[in-house]
Amino acid sequence: MNRRTFFTFGAGSIAAAALAACDSFGPKSATSLLKLAERKNEKLERWLFSDGSRNRVSAAARLSGRSFPRYFISDTIPMWDEAQRGTWRLEVGGAVRNPLSLTLEDLMKMRSVTQKVDHFCVEGWTARAEWTGVRMSEIARVSGATSDAQFVDFQSFDSGYHESWDIESALHPQTLVAYGMDRAMLGPGHGAPARVHSPVKLGYKNTKYLTRIMFMPSRAGGYWSDRGYEWYGGV
Amino acid sequence: MAASGVALGSTDEARAAANPAARPQVRHHWVVRLTHWVNVVALGLMVTSGLRIFNAYPAFARRGESFCCYPFAGKPIPASLTFGGWLAGARNWHFAAMWLLFLNGLVYVGFIYLHGEWRDLVPRRGDIRDSWEMIKFYVFARPDHPHQGKHNALQKSAYFSMPILGALAVLTGLAIWKPVQFAPLTNLLGGYVWARYWHFLVMLGLVALTVVHVVMVFAVDPYSIRSMITGGYNEAKSPEARNARPFFWRRPTATRAEGGLES
Repeated sequence: MNRRTFFTFGAGSIAAAALAACDSFGPKSATSLLKLAERKNEKLERWLFSDGSRNRVSAAARLSGRSFPRYFISDTIPMWDEAQRGTWRLEVGGAVRNPLSLTLEDLMKMRSVTQKVDHFCVEGWTARAEWTGVRMSEIARVSGATSDAQFVDFQSFDSGYHESWDIESALHPQTLVAYGMDRAMLGPGHGAPARVHSPVKLGYKNTKYLTRIMFMPSRAGGYWSDRGYEWYGGV
Repeated sequence: MAASGVALGSTDEARAAANPAARPQVRHHWVVRLTHWVNVVALGLMVTSGLRIFNAYPAFARRGESFCCYPFAGKPIPASLTFGGWLAGARNWHFAAMWLLFLNGLVYVGFIYLHGEWRDLVPRRGDIRDSWEMIKFYVFARPDHPHQGKHNALQKSAYFSMPILGALAVLTGLAIWKPVQFAPLTNLLGGYVWARYWHFLVMLGLVALTVVHVVMVFAVDPYSIRSMITGGYNEAKSPEARNARPFFWRRPTATRAEGGLES
């Protein structure tokens, strides 16, 4: 076998082995390598993250309105049934000095902001809306989040959907607990009575149908993060 | 070969100085050959996983708006051209393989800068005229192959464009990975929707260059395949020596010993 045939055979068998070892998902042995890359990327992304970063949308920009997609994991639109479950409340607990239990009226009495921002979906589309709500940093301040609060878990009544965040992204000035959308009350298709909305995280990190905000010393995964999507999901 | 601290280069040089006739004809330095094949893997993974990501929303318009410049909106890329299996899997591959592409590109560009190979690739004043002469030769409007250096003028422009498109792929990729953290970059590219479009077009450019490159290797100079594996190349079989046009050339009749054609 001369050198040329050796290389031809060599390249051919490597290619054949690579193809045999993988379906379209890629070889199983690569999983740990992909996990390593995700951990390193998260470090880089958290380092890149700036509290001063802003998603700016011009005042004249068009809103997506009715084209803004609805999304939930339950079979039907999750609705809070007051007759069955009593008054909806947003519980704020965990690593806080003053746990809160807020009715929608309580939430609406807090210092609010209205912002027109982009919504970045992991699928690649974006949509625009004007959100009204309370900054997460305000909720952290009022509830007295302690230095143990390094992560935040946002929980919902949408069949157990939740996603946990790093504290820096949660306290970003554009991260809201929103109860209004496009100058109206948030509708059931978009997470009523209240949801998380922030342009600094991909859509799946923005829990809708919010019931509980838990400040925590460690991360708590999430619905999509536990199913293969990147936990950090930062934008 | 330019002076450098690279071990193999210095050995070659020492040997060449001692006996010019024994100088091995290494057409491509091993760093160039290695980064070339790593790039095949990296680019292959990036393009196929990127197309799988694209299939989650095979369009560009923001919700509730329209987009001028993509006639195939809503039509997914055939699954056989994609990799990663599903959106999350493809994203995980894309965000891992991007490091392979990026670091490999840095090694390649850094190496050809320090080692001198960039001289064979940068555009020069006569390149447009030389390219025109090459085109004339390829369409039989000129009988003889234009004289060339390591590469002909058309090759040069293609190989020079490749790392530039690679850099643009990285830049446009950063703009759609971090449109809020890198908002100024994303805005420079016309916003998220346009940045995503540029990223797609740059990918198409890279794919087009690659396809033309592979076709031309087989159609004009299959002898160069060996030069990208072992480094060896016989100048007597170069396209200029064979007066080779794509698909129109004959096997060299007299095969002479390699290494004896240096002068």
